[in-house]
Amino acid sequence: MSNNKDSLQVCIKHHQTILHQPQKSLLESIEIQDITVHFHCREGFCGACRTKLIKGEVEYLTFPLAYIDDDEILPCCCYPLTDLEIELA
Amino acid sequence: MKYTTFNQISNNPLTEPMFFGNPVNVARYDQQKHQIFEKLIEKQISFFWRPEEVDVSKDRVDFQKLSESEKHIFISNLKYQTLLDSIQGRSPNIAFLPIISIPELETWVETWSFFETIHSRSYTHILRNLFGDPSSIFNDIVENQEIKKRAADISKYYDDLIFATQLWQTQGEGLHTVNGVAHTISMRELKKKLFLCMNSVNALEAIRFYVSFACTFAFAERELMEGNSKIIRLIARDENLHLTSTQHILNLWAKGKDDPEMAEIAEECKEEATQIFLNAVQQEKEWAAYLFQQGSMIGLNKEILCQYVEFIANHRMSAIGLGQPFKIKSNPLPWMNNYLNSDNVQVAPQESEISSYLVGQIDSEVNAEDFGDFDL
Repeated sequence: MSNNKDSLQVCIKHHQTILHQPQKSLLESIEIQDITVHFHCREGFCGACRTKLIKGEVEYLTFPLAYIDDDEILPCCCYPLTDLEIELA
Repeated sequence: MKYTTFNQISNNPLTEPMFFGNPVNVARYDQQKHQIFEKLIEKQISFFWRPEEVDVSKDRVDFQKLSESEKHIFISNLKYQTLLDSIQGRSPNIAFLPIISIPELETWVETWSFFETIHSRSYTHILRNLFGDPSSIFNDIVENQEIKKRAADISKYYDDLIFATQLWQTQGEGLHTVNGVAHTISMRELKKKLFLCMNSVNALEAIRFYVSFACTFAFAERELMEGNSKIIRLIARDENLHLTSTQHILNLWAKGKDDPEMAEIAEECKEEATQIFLNAVQQEKEWAAYLFQQGSMIGLNKEILCQYVEFIANHRMSAIGLGQPFKIKSNPLPWMNNYLNSDNVQVAPQESEISSYLVGQIDSEVNAEDFGDFDL
C-alpha cells in the first residue's frame, strides 16, 4: 500500500504551493485548491492531465497507460512520495 | 516480402521492430517487446460493453420534440460517427496487420478494430430506435457531399499504404507499372507511408470524433437524447484508449525506441505530420459550420465548437511533440469533462438494463410517486 505521507508540499509553477491531501490523488489535491487542471478519464489512460515533474518523486497505484515523457506524470493516478515541484500544461 | 500467416523462421519477437520485420508466428504474450500494448489490450477488454445494454427507448420521444435544426445536427452527427467507425472497424486490420511484426501489437490492433465494430453496431441500435427503417440515413452517408469529403481524406492514407504494401508483398521493391501507372516501391517509401497513415489515424481518434461528441453531450446537458449520450460516453472512453495507442506508436518511433529508421522518418516528415493534423482541424471546423447551417442549439454554436477543436488539438498535438499551434488556453466546453470521465461511465451490472429482456418493452419512466410506498 502507499506510504503516502500527509504533509507533503506541491509547488505548482505559476500558481501557489499547495499541501498534498492524504489519501487523495495529486489531481484531487490540486482541484481542492480551485486550480484548473485539464482532465478526461481520471484513470490514467487518456493522458489529458499530463504534467511536467520538475522535482520530486511520485508513485502509481494503477499503471499509467497514457503516453508520458520521462519527465512527466499523470496527476489523476499518481501519489507524491516527496515534496514536488510541477508545471501544469 | 510475401506475407505468410505462420512465419516458419524461428525468430526472436523481442528483437523485431513493430512494423516491417518478420511476420508474426506464435501469438505469445508471456514476453513483450513493448509491454504497453498488452496492457492496452487488458484495459480495452475490461471496457467490454454491448449497445443493447443501453436503453435508448426514451430518445424516440425526445427526438420528436427537437426543432428541425436540432434534428439536422443530431442526425448528421450520427452519420459522421457511422462513417468514422465504418472506416476504423476495418482499416487498422487491413492496413497494419500484414506488416506488424510483434504479437502484442498484432493483438492490440485486432482488439482495437473489434471495439470499433461494437461502435458501428451501436449506431444501428440508436437509429433503429429513432426510425422504423433507418435505410435512408445509412444511404445518405455515401451520397452526402460533406461526409464524402471527409471520408476521402481519412481513407486516402490508409489506401495508399495498403496498395503499396500489396505491391511490395507480391512484387518486392523496385519500379512496378500497374494499369499504366508507375509505382516505385522501396522500404523507405513504405515506412513513410506508414508514418503518415499513423499520423492520420492519430488525428482521427484525437479530434475528428470530438466535434460530434460535443454535440451529443450538449443534448445530454439539456437532458435530451440521454440513451444516445450513454452509448457515446462508452464509445468516447474506447476512443481515448485507441488514441493512447497511436500516441505510443508515434512516440516510440520518434524517440528511437523501436525502428531507428522510423526515428529519421519522424524527423523528416514532421512538417507533413503537422499538416495532417491542421487539415483535420480545418475540416472539423467546416463540419461544425455544416452542422449549424440551419441554426444553433442551446448551449452550443459554431464558434464555441471551433474553439473546442482548437483547444483539444493543442493538447493532442503537444502529446506527439508537434507543439501547441493555437492560442486558446482554457477549455471552452468545461462540461465535456464530465462526460469523458470514466467514473461516470462504469455502471454496476444490476444498475444497467439487461439486454435479454430489453427489446423496447421496458418502461424507463420513473416518477417520484413510484417510491411512494417505499419505507426505510
